[in-house]
Amino acid sequence: MGSSLYSMPMRLRMTRAERADAPIGFGRQSTSRRGAKELSYTRMTLNYLIPPYPAFMSVRIKAGRGRHTPIMKNVSADLERSKEALKKMLPADDFLTFEFASPKLSFCVLFADPLTDKDLLGEQVIRPLRQYTGAPRAEEVLKALSSPEAKTEKSLEKLAEEVLIGNPVVLFSDMDMGVVVGTKKIPVRAIAEPPTDVTLKGPREGFIEDFKTNTALIRRRLKTGELKIDTTDVGRRSSTTVAVCYLEGTAPKATVEAVKQKLQGIDIDIIPDSSYLTHFLASRPYSLVKQVGTTEKPDIFCAKLAEGRVGLIVDGSPIALTVPYLLIEDFQSSEDYFVPPYRATFTRLLRLFALLVAIYLPAFYVSAQLFKLQLFPVKLLLTIAGSIRDIPFSPSLEMLLVLLVLEVLNEASIRMPKYVGMALSVVGALVLGETAVSAGFVSTPAIIIIAFSGIGLYAVPNLIEQTSVLRLAMLLVAGSVGTYGVLLATAFVILYLVTTENFSAPLVAPFSPLRGRDLRDSLIKYNLGSLEMRPQTLKSPNRRRLS
Amino acid sequence: MNKISARQLLFFLACVAPVGKIVLLPARLADTSKNDLLFPLLAAYLLQAAAVFCTLLVAKRGMSFAELLENTFGRVVSKILLTVFALFLLFAGLLPVLEQKVMVQSVFYDTLPSLVAFAPYFLFAVYVLSKPLASHGRVWDILAPLAIFGLAGILVLSAASADFSALAPVGAAGQKGFFEGTMSAMAWFFDAALLLPLLGKFDYEKGLAWKGTLCYLAGGAAVLLFTAIFWGIFQETAPNQLFAFTVTSRYFPGVTTLGRIDYLFIFALALVMAFYVTLPLQGSIECALEAYGRPRYLPTLLAIGVTAVFLTLDVLLDYRFTEVLDGVTKWAFWVMPLFSVVIPPLLLLLRRRRRAV
Repeated sequence: MGSSLYSMPMRLRMTRAERADAPIGFGRQSTSRRGAKELSYTRMTLNYLIPPYPAFMSVRIKAGRGRHTPIMKNVSADLERSKEALKKMLPADDFLTFEFASPKLSFCVLFADPLTDKDLLGEQVIRPLRQYTGAPRAEEVLKALSSPEAKTEKSLEKLAEEVLIGNPVVLFSDMDMGVVVGTKKIPVRAIAEPPTDVTLKGPREGFIEDFKTNTALIRRRLKTGELKIDTTDVGRRSSTTVAVCYLEGTAPKATVEAVKQKLQGIDIDIIPDSSYLTHFLASRPYSLVKQVGTTEKPDIFCAKLAEGRVGLIVDGSPIALTVPYLLIEDFQSSEDYFVPPYRATFTRLLRLFALLVAIYLPAFYVSAQLFKLQLFPVKLLLTIAGSIRDIPFSPSLEMLLVLLVLEVLNEASIRMPKYVGMALSVVGALVLGETAVSAGFVSTPAIIIIAFSGIGLYAVPNLIEQTSVLRLAMLLVAGSVGTYGVLLATAFVILYLVTTENFSAPLVAPFSPLRGRDLRDSLIKYNLGSLEMRPQTLKSPNRRRLS
Repeated sequence: MNKISARQLLFFLACVAPVGKIVLLPARLADTSKNDLLFPLLAAYLLQAAAVFCTLLVAKRGMSFAELLENTFGRVVSKILLTVFALFLLFAGLLPVLEQKVMVQSVFYDTLPSLVAFAPYFLFAVYVLSKPLASHGRVWDILAPLAIFGLAGILVLSAASADFSALAPVGAAGQKGFFEGTMSAMAWFFDAALLLPLLGKFDYEKGLAWKGTLCYLAGGAAVLLFTAIFWGIFQETAPNQLFAFTVTSRYFPGVTTLGRIDYLFIFALALVMAFYVTLPLQGSIECALEAYGRPRYLPTLLAIGVTAVFLTLDVLLDYRFTEVLDGVTKWAFWVMPLFSVVIPPLLLLLRRRRRAV
């Protein structure tokens, strides 16, 4: 029922019976967790009929929350009354009205100034209506308009909703019906290469904040009717459009339903970014461990959909989400699929090595100094002994201070304006680095180790938030209980990771539980010809992808 | 995550179980059986392999340990038997935990007081014990390659330093040495008993009993090889070389130039051991839960309780490890074979058909 509802083509309204059968939150009345009655209508996607579907083909309503209290519910034949009622519902200064007349009728256009393409409005709506000489009947008026996206609407509340999302509303004298025209124009930035996922080879396009552009980028790569883009609104005040994207027949139905169910359960005022959703989608929301995949690149997003995952596009966010997420995903880059498999395998192993070094090197250095000097070769031990001789801090405190400085520099360099960046580099490298060593505050090995660790962390950029915390935790454990403490902390992490599942997919698969065939695209990358099956872990009903 | 797969079980038998036998056991065997140390070890392995085979055959019935007992003896007796078995597993866990502690104290630290050094283990234990027993299956998937990496690394680094001719002449220790060695060795062999709480948590596949036994023997072969290398390197001084797996590789030529690179393998094995050592305790908790049900907070309470008991024992027996070792290997030597060698075959005699409720 659910899927047929979402792909219902070319219909704007559901019947009462259809609404009752629809899943809660996707077109059906439901009672939210706080008991507030809410109506949330799905956007009727045209799916494969008109890719990408026009955003206009949607009706979004939030009723019963006390946001608007209309004096009258529906449009009246009295133009002035209808206009006043609508203006009362939308009292802000940036909602404008424009009144004009044809030989027989009077009109009033109400629109949100910043969201409306006024040239298009003039061309497609005002000009034809000025010359309109027909009867005041909705069907005839619609025919007279040059806009391909026009519909009639009686409810004032729904008309107000349309104005809020950027679609102008035309009211007529002698007609108890308004016309909504799809001439919204939301300012968007150009498609560019995402800064978080730069590649040398392969597509360079990245998602942007505009929902329509993002779905267009996906449709461009997946020209199939199996691609479903089911939308819903999340956020009491933001009414953020969230699209659940999946390939029908490839993504497990259970996962799709689970994602939709989690989305309906969200009761929050605004969703400013897709990262807000990750909290609600995770099975362990308070965990440090990442449980939802993220990408800014449509090619990666589509490849993940093709593997049987479910994707989420959030209006206003350039970062798309994918579930189920496997830890190994962040060790794979899109470039791995465009270079020979030997090189891809090497780089993946290198990323793992860099990550392990980044997390453990400072910890082992400190614990070796404090508790087990045997871990150093004799010559290295002598060098270290020479350089730490006059340092006033304990090894753990010294390392902690250097790490703290690195984190501060890192944070400042991201937030700081670019033209100050050079000065920051000079201050960081010369003043804090060299001078601190020559002044005897910190030792050279500590700087080298933290620098190496800092670089290593960026080998897997999508896990930085997690690994930097883990590095700090390991360092604290090493400074207090030494190497065995680090080993036990590692054992703790292993047990935590292997027992974490999200959307029925074990986080550490294909290593635990071991899935032999899935290992072909894990740390080791087989040739494309050998990857004939979709990952077993994702439980796709259509396992074969290469015949 | 509620079930352990057959593959995970085989990983445990082949890779994880042998790790517990390369810490103190080689030195103990060197003390009792001299250059014949391989024979008691082989005997203990064969006995235990037979018990593992029987346990896996019992698994064919698809019943849990508690169901098996209840099916034959009724609810009350099965509760008593499960309680006794839970106590046995606690007893079986004592030596590995203390052995681990002494190893950590001397291998990982030069100066720190022992109690502080090992205290984090008990925090870790509470976390592990509060997880369901079947979650160990997934851990074994990760531990198996780690154990192979560690053991293979140690064997490769150590092999060149060993003089295998030192194992000759065979039989020099005589029958007394053999029996004493076997008796001592049995304190480290309770793997079949560890499998009993796992019954019903894995599905029997065709030939699993044979595969399991062969995997166990394969792991045993690695332990035998390691023990032979251990004697080949240290010979008459071997009884004084405690914590065998941490000392055999130190004579590798690369160690002088590169530093103790063998610690990489030692750390890997220590990581595997941390999980292996908690398994008897978890088995004990599982038996208690099977006997007395699973109210919501009982698993966590038992995890805290068992850990607290072991922490107390750790404090009380801080300087008495030798006495504990002697007590287990000389006075209570019959306990391990009774529960882990005698009981598994007896389980085959239990009622096969499910009793009608």
